Amino acid sequence: MPQPSDQHRMKGRVRSARPAVAAAVAAGLVLAATGCGSGSGSGSGSKASGGPVNLTYRIWDSTQQTGMQHIVDAFQQANPNIHVRIELVANKEYWTKLQADATAGSAPDVFWMNGPNAQLYESNKQLLALSSNVLKQNGVDLANYPAALNQLYNLGGTQYGIPKDFDTVGLWYNKKLFDAAGLKYPDASWTWQDVQNAAKKLTDASKGQYGILAPPYGQENYYDTIFQAGGYVIAPGGKSSGYAKPEAQAGLKFWSDLVKDGYSPSLKSMTDTFAAQQFESGKIGMYYAGSWNCMEFSKSDTIKDSVDVAVLPQGVKKATVIHGLANVGYAKTKHPAEVEKFLAFLGSKQANEIEAKDSGVIPAYNGTQQAWVASFPNFHVQSYLDELPYAVAYPTSKNTSAWQNQEAAVLAPAWDGGEDIGTAAQQLATMMNTALSKEQ
Amino acid sequence: MPDLASSRRPRSGERGRLIATHTVLIVGGLVMLGPFVWELLTSLKPFGETTQNPPTILPHHWQLSNYSKVFQSLPFGRQFLNTVVMTVGRTLAQLVFCSMAGYAFARMRFRGANVLFGLFLSVLMVPGLLFLIPQYVLLERLGWLNTMQGLIVPGMFSAFGVFLLRQVFMAMPYETEEAARIDGANPFQIFWRIMLPLARPGLAALAILSALSAWNDLMFPLVVTTDPNKMTLSAGLATLQGEHFTDYSVLMAGALMATAPMIVVFLVLQKQFVQGIAFTGSKG
Amino acid sequence: MAAKIQQAPRTLTATRSPHRERVRRCRNRSEHAWAYLMIAPVTIGLGLFYLWPIVQTFYYSFTQSGPFGGHQWIGAANYRALAHDSSVTQSALNTVFYTVLQLAGIPLAVFVAALLNQRGLRGRSVYRVIYFLPVVTMPVAAAMVWRWMYQGDNGIINHLLSGFGIAGPHWVSDPSTAMYALAAVGIWMAFGTNLVIFLAGLQGIPAEYYEAAKVDGASATRTFFRITVPMLTPSIFFATVLTVINSLQLFDLVYMMMGTPSDATGQSNPAMPHVQTIASLFYEKAFIEHDTGFGAAVAFVLVAFILLVTVVQFRLQKKWVHYA
Repeated sequence: MPQPSDQHRMKGRVRSARPAVAAAVAAGLVLAATGCGSGSGSGSGSKASGGPVNLTYRIWDSTQQTGMQHIVDAFQQANPNIHVRIELVANKEYWTKLQADATAGSAPDVFWMNGPNAQLYESNKQLLALSSNVLKQNGVDLANYPAALNQLYNLGGTQYGIPKDFDTVGLWYNKKLFDAAGLKYPDASWTWQDVQNAAKKLTDASKGQYGILAPPYGQENYYDTIFQAGGYVIAPGGKSSGYAKPEAQAGLKFWSDLVKDGYSPSLKSMTDTFAAQQFESGKIGMYYAGSWNCMEFSKSDTIKDSVDVAVLPQGVKKATVIHGLANVGYAKTKHPAEVEKFLAFLGSKQANEIEAKDSGVIPAYNGTQQAWVASFPNFHVQSYLDELPYAVAYPTSKNTSAWQNQEAAVLAPAWDGGEDIGTAAQQLATMMNTALSKEQ
Repeated sequence: MPDLASSRRPRSGERGRLIATHTVLIVGGLVMLGPFVWELLTSLKPFGETTQNPPTILPHHWQLSNYSKVFQSLPFGRQFLNTVVMTVGRTLAQLVFCSMAGYAFARMRFRGANVLFGLFLSVLMVPGLLFLIPQYVLLERLGWLNTMQGLIVPGMFSAFGVFLLRQVFMAMPYETEEAARIDGANPFQIFWRIMLPLARPGLAALAILSALSAWNDLMFPLVVTTDPNKMTLSAGLATLQGEHFTDYSVLMAGALMATAPMIVVFLVLQKQFVQGIAFTGSKG
Repeated sequence: MAAKIQQAPRTLTATRSPHRERVRRCRNRSEHAWAYLMIAPVTIGLGLFYLWPIVQTFYYSFTQSGPFGGHQWIGAANYRALAHDSSVTQSALNTVFYTVLQLAGIPLAVFVAALLNQRGLRGRSVYRVIYFLPVVTMPVAAAMVWRWMYQGDNGIINHLLSGFGIAGPHWVSDPSTAMYALAAVGIWMAFGTNLVIFLAGLQGIPAEYYEAAKVDGASATRTFFRITVPMLTPSIFFATVLTVINSLQLFDLVYMMMGTPSDATGQSNPAMPHVQTIASLFYEKAFIEHDTGFGAAVAFVLVAFILLVTVVQFRLQKKWVHYA
């Protein structure tokens, strides 16, 4: 069943994968079967001495639950003394709930972490530090994962998470519409100018057809173009905003102009109906979409035979945002040794291979990604991996959501056509600098 | 307008007015019912049809399977049971606790009564969201997360309930009470045997209001439970939205199913509902 | 609900007879004990789950708080910052505006109640059931349905409007309509409650008043404004207090209708600045931006405001409410 991919992007990125009914059903069955449901978190575990140890592993994506369960099964087979229970929390309330849990001192033993929240939990001592000794003992070598991902979960030289998967952004296009307009398909040589030209030619308002979708999303849209223009969102060191710089404003203007010129549906329209879903209607020429959309597009009867994906067009230079989740341990877990063992297994080649096959996300372990590519024979999803050499880490700080929340609020009026994008960017820079100064 | 004219048979002017009245009421009624009708129609359409532009009014293809999809996505029966248990548990407890306290505040004198009562009333002024994390932390300390008592206990006490029943007891005559007192009954016996039965309309009103709010409670069950088998219907419905956001046909089917039990109860007990709410109004 | 808050103590003292006073005195001690026993469960429960959290949060509002606890006293700094924060002012205005719109539902309910109360009207109970139905509907379900109907491109409302040649807006993402769209849902959900309160009030108006008006040859409109409305003022007062308290705390509808699973607070919705209420701002500050102390201060501004408005309402009631 078609689902919008964006549903899993919470405020400021977050992985995602689109729910498929089959997976949701499986999830329900698994939960029904395992529904022990004692108190949550570390509190429920038995003492390490003697008997088996119970761990709770919390995730938010129902479509990945089957895959995660397969990994847990493999882990339990190798470690019969450790029992892991998967706990699925609704996406929208995941962070509210985790905050409540951490406040109460009862977060789950192991859980998913994303870039925007990583430093918040790390700097507030909520995550289990993984010293190089611990990593070595458990056979983890960080060199097996893309450096940009390790960096997202490293604060002040200490590693807190082991990368689980990653996503980059690609340019999806509708071949039918391109053919009808007599346009060449996008390729690695494309520039911003090519996108603008194509968007113009593909737009036919009378038919409700638009050249491109330009929603105000950071990860899939303006962060990429800001990096491509040679700008940055947050200065190295994390102390100041890059929005006042002309490069960043160029990156924003690229998108707001597409909306202003009428080559994209209005922001109001994209608020009502998710962008990915609009793309699936077959009336949109181009769409910058994260790798997590592949599964959904491959299932959509309307577009699965008429769309494909290329690398992102370049501005001043080539760039794409890379973000990935990590598995992390809770600082106050009662079973740190078992948690470390489980974390190491989640980061292992074996687990990543299962993930590539069953979860629909790109696994983080280098060399396991081809299984993911092979699972989408109809699309050139290799594009997502081709971008790795110039991928830029998702911008984060100690309290990322404090300024990201304002990003959306400040930029919305500019996207909606009322306000000048330069003014909005200046305003955003000021607000973001205030938020960043509070973090110190 | 109220018209108590003596003639039984409507005169022609009166009939015209009645027709106009019905017209207005029917139009208003359509507005009130419209969303339910649309909910029902949407729940019977295949997904593809819901995203069509322009929308179809009646489904071209009737699809009942949206309802079975809800059953597949949620442990619906289990959540229904949870909701019933939670609603009944909270409501009964509120009736007992609030009537005892309401009686004490209305008829007994004790040090600190006014201060305490004022504090209770202050709870009504505070947005419910504020209690979320403190209550969560407390429940965690008690080890009650993901448990039935965790869902029920914080909802067993209601400042509004105390206030409402205090008003009820205050309006009652003193004589019956005096007689019992002279017979040597203690205050609790007087309350339990004599006054409580007299307070029946007030109790019914509180029962209805507290059942409604328990049934519809969203944020609290959502945060206190993570296990779908321990969730209530409203929380389960919210997770359905998370997973199937744009499959409006399944969402509407779920929304209808979650709402239906309370609507059935209302249709059966409509007199009690209406009197209960009206009673609250007159006691306020 | 709150109509007798202030009269309460007066009633207690005024009706005490000398005889009872005597009886009371000698029973005082045991009665004290019984009273404390009877209020004990509620006092413990409310104290633990409600009053203590209020005290805690009030303390947090004077601290710089981390998202996971850890509080540092900073005096009134949060309140000072709040006074200069334009989003607080804006959401306060939004909240008041929403409340005003909700109050517009009251005359509407009075009018419908009067229509329903006409003698000789058939189908009264059917109408009553229909108008009351939204009250028993789960708000989260209702919000989903309305959001679906409000869709700009293929929603049913705009489809129906297009039949009249009107191109409807994107109701919940258009800054100029979003608040009205939300308020309409609020009125729809509360209408039945108000209606039933007024119907009960109407039944309490003595028939002689209407007979007298009839004899005087008063028109229906005149009767409505000279008899029905004044006699209904106690019910109207009650409904007003209830509506105001509920509306000022508005959060659910904003949370359920403006946001999406991908965007919990709806910040990327261009209409959000015009719909943000104080309670939803509290959620955003405390839960999204992790500024618990500031969030707590925002919440207490709301509490103070509700308190103030409620007190003013009771003060003003003497001016317009007629108790029989």
